Amino acid sequence: MAKIDLFPKQKLDSFILFLCVFISFALIFSNDNRNIQGLRSSAIDTFSFLYQPFNWLDNQLFLTKKLEVLSEENLKLNLENQILSSNKIENQRLRDLLKFRERNEFDFIGADILSKGFSSNLSSVLLDRGSNDGVKNNSPVLSSRGVVGKTILVAKDYSTVQLISDIDFRLSVKIMPSEAEGIMRWIQDDICQIVEVQTTSDVQIGDIVLTSNLSIYFPPNLPVGEVISFYKESNSSNKIVRMRLFSDLSTLNQLFILKGDK
Amino acid sequence: MQFSFPRFFLLAVILQLVFSELLTINGFQPNIMLLFVILSSISMENISRATLIGFSIGLLSDLILFNGSYIGLSSLIFSICAYLSARVSFNFVYRNFDLYWLVLVSLGTGLYAFFRYDFFFFNDILLFLKNWIFLSIYTSFVGFIITRLFKVKEGVLENA
Repeated sequence: MAKIDLFPKQKLDSFILFLCVFISFALIFSNDNRNIQGLRSSAIDTFSFLYQPFNWLDNQLFLTKKLEVLSEENLKLNLENQILSSNKIENQRLRDLLKFRERNEFDFIGADILSKGFSSNLSSVLLDRGSNDGVKNNSPVLSSRGVVGKTILVAKDYSTVQLISDIDFRLSVKIMPSEAEGIMRWIQDDICQIVEVQTTSDVQIGDIVLTSNLSIYFPPNLPVGEVISFYKESNSSNKIVRMRLFSDLSTLNQLFILKGDK
Repeated sequence: MQFSFPRFFLLAVILQLVFSELLTINGFQPNIMLLFVILSSISMENISRATLIGFSIGLLSDLILFNGSYIGLSSLIFSICAYLSARVSFNFVYRNFDLYWLVLVSLGTGLYAFFRYDFFFFNDILLFLKNWIFLSIYTSFVGFIITRLFKVKEGVLENA
């Protein structure tokens, strides 16, 4: 009996390709689905052992360099601490005089970077702390110098952090001392751009950039970076401010996840 | 040397992890899994099979290797690259082996770049091109070394 081909060979190939493309797009558009998130969390928990040897190797190879960076940072922080300690006493006295409300102290969870991950479309790192340690989704993540990102996927023992260098990352910031507010996004290397800044605001090169009071996930006044240039946007009442991040994203080792609510 | 699929798959996973952890340049990492899918599909006669394998490896990579990426992106790109890679005729591959995989690597990294730097694509095309070209050159450079070191061309053509 003659065999009847439902699909000629070439059409079958095209059909399979179409099917794969269709399923892929369906998956891309359902990334926020709870089941998909659960699958990703389980995959991270199950296969994170793959990164351990390479992480260990990375630590061994760059241990001296990391020690140098940490020592330098330690010295800087010590000097800064001396100045801040005296300022704190004065600040506390003035706040008492003005009867200001007590500020909340931040509570951090220290975490090691397990994998810098291959980032095809998202700049992210994998941390060795998860929901078992109290990490929640969308928690701010900082290095010892400033904000570096937020958690986007929390598994039991691991969590994925979306870094500032991801093209989709946006952060509401303010420029001190003028308190001009704007939206920050990454451009390249450690350079970011702040948009929606009023032209009338008095921004100067060297001004400090902090998280603003308007952010949903980030508490105010976390350090982000410093202004390096600014220019007026044509046909607009806003100016564009370029800033350099305090954190060096290429040498991240240990990070801190902000615990609890804002 | 025969192109042994499981052996080269294992090698690709290890190399991808090594490059991800230790050899990132300016935030860019070569896409070894993409390279593996392209090279392994060249010798496959059955295009549907090559496409499905590309899809499966992409899905696996999104879940396990490329933490943080969107699930479905690698399966989309790998399926397309595997399909195109498997369609090529033996004579063409024999004469233009390097050119062929280099073109497909550029296409694959271009698709990745489009998804990652879509904002630049629509707002600053030069920055988009810079990122794409760098990613493409880095992957091609590593691919060039790998194909020479492991005599991939001979293995692939022997299988084809």
